[in-house]
Amino acid sequence: MIISSQKKFKELLRALKERNIFIIGCGKCATKLHVGGEPEVLEMRKKLTKAGKNIVGWMVMSSACNISSWDDVLAKNPEIGKSEALLVMSCGGGVSLISSLSERQVYPALDTESLGGVRLEDTMKELCGMCGECTVWEFGGICPVSQCPKGLLNGPCGGAMEGKCEVDERTCAWDEIYERQKKLGKLEYLGIVQEPKNHSKKKRRQAV
Amino acid sequence: MSFESKLNKGKFVVTAEISPPKGTDTGDLLKDASMIKDFADAINVTDNQRAIMRMSPVAACSILESKGFETIMHLTCRDRNRLALQSELLGAYALGIKNILVMSGDHPVKGDHEGAKPVYDMDSVQLLGMVQKLNSGFDFSGNRLDGSTDFCAGAVTNIELNEIALMKLEKKISQGVRFIQTQAVFDIEKFSVFLDKIKDTGISKSWIIAGIIPLKSEKSALFLNKNIAGIKVPENIIDRMKNARDPEMKGMEIAAGLIKELHGMCGGVHIMPIGNHEKTKNILEMAGII
Repeated sequence: MIISSQKKFKELLRALKERNIFIIGCGKCATKLHVGGEPEVLEMRKKLTKAGKNIVGWMVMSSACNISSWDDVLAKNPEIGKSEALLVMSCGGGVSLISSLSERQVYPALDTESLGGVRLEDTMKELCGMCGECTVWEFGGICPVSQCPKGLLNGPCGGAMEGKCEVDERTCAWDEIYERQKKLGKLEYLGIVQEPKNHSKKKRRQAV
Repeated sequence: MSFESKLNKGKFVVTAEISPPKGTDTGDLLKDASMIKDFADAINVTDNQRAIMRMSPVAACSILESKGFETIMHLTCRDRNRLALQSELLGAYALGIKNILVMSGDHPVKGDHEGAKPVYDMDSVQLLGMVQKLNSGFDFSGNRLDGSTDFCAGAVTNIELNEIALMKLEKKISQGVRFIQTQAVFDIEKFSVFLDKIKDTGISKSWIIAGIIPLKSEKSALFLNKNIAGIKVPENIIDRMKNARDPEMKGMEIAAGLIKELHGMCGGVHIMPIGNHEKTKNILEMAGII
């Protein structure tokens, strides 16, 4: 699940220069997180209309990051042809894909934050740091790359106070890693001197 | 005699912490250093401490070394990737800096450049391992160096260690640490417990340098407890500060008392004043160290 949140409306309006707008929502993560599903698209339409924009049409794609034919999208949504810009309420993946397929001015309505999940109704952020060399079993299934703000691999820094991370109110990821490994009987993993990550595995514009 | 030789010979060392200037004026840096010239075995120079931007510790250490001071250069993992850390270390060594103190570094959101990219390409354990490589004549990637380093590398620790913090300290020690400087000590009993805990890690007690922060007021004690991780000023000390007619003098007495007790327990003390080193000499005299 890609975790994203809605941009502030004022901020969005500042960027959105065009008047005739088509809105695209996403049926996957953005719907589940209530930031880019049908109710949010309709709410956005209302707010933009009130702000003087002309909403020529809207749709919610089943998945904004998985589009087999843009021609089909256009055929089913001819209003797109009347728009000057698309406002996409999905994660950055969907926004980029739609930008390249539509060859139109595309604006993101959301800010993409992390790779996470939803447990019952709890949104869990930053579950994976997408480092390209997963060894999460060595940390009890808790990713230190994303859960520790410093991405420390060999244990906690000295900054936590009474179990709280120095960065904000979250609990220290390393306390959780320790507790999990203790429960699993795998504390020996925490004695391993971990090498730094190989960031060449994350180089940009990597071919699929 | 160098700081490292003194440590190895079992002299009770005194180190003192100075922050580089926020700007290019080194006047206060040199003034502060001159106040501890006669008795400090080495001067710790901080690296953008608390994520507040200041002059580079390489530059500040180099200036102090050129005036005859021996320095311990702090090096955090926050601001530099592995290339920058290594080139900084080679530069520092070429400029005469022999001692370094390695730490993760406070997160940028704690400081005055909140939006800065937190680097943390390496952590303190990995950085210590890399220093060992440079000392053996190779860079991190295994390329041979034209002239190696011979750093005396140290690590930091809090006094109160839970299991996972102790495991990390053990890893640091496994990476060639030659001394350890602790967060400020206010409770000798707790310091004893700490020494007991690290007994089996293979590090000698004479390599442990205990941190000392002379309190200035009750307020300063409360500030430390609230804002600085790893420091716990106990109630009885807060009360003594509160009831003191001259709180600054009381803070000096307390610091001197702690130093007296620490003498013989560990390898030395590290003075981290609130402000400058104006009173450091007095405190050490009161403790009977100098």
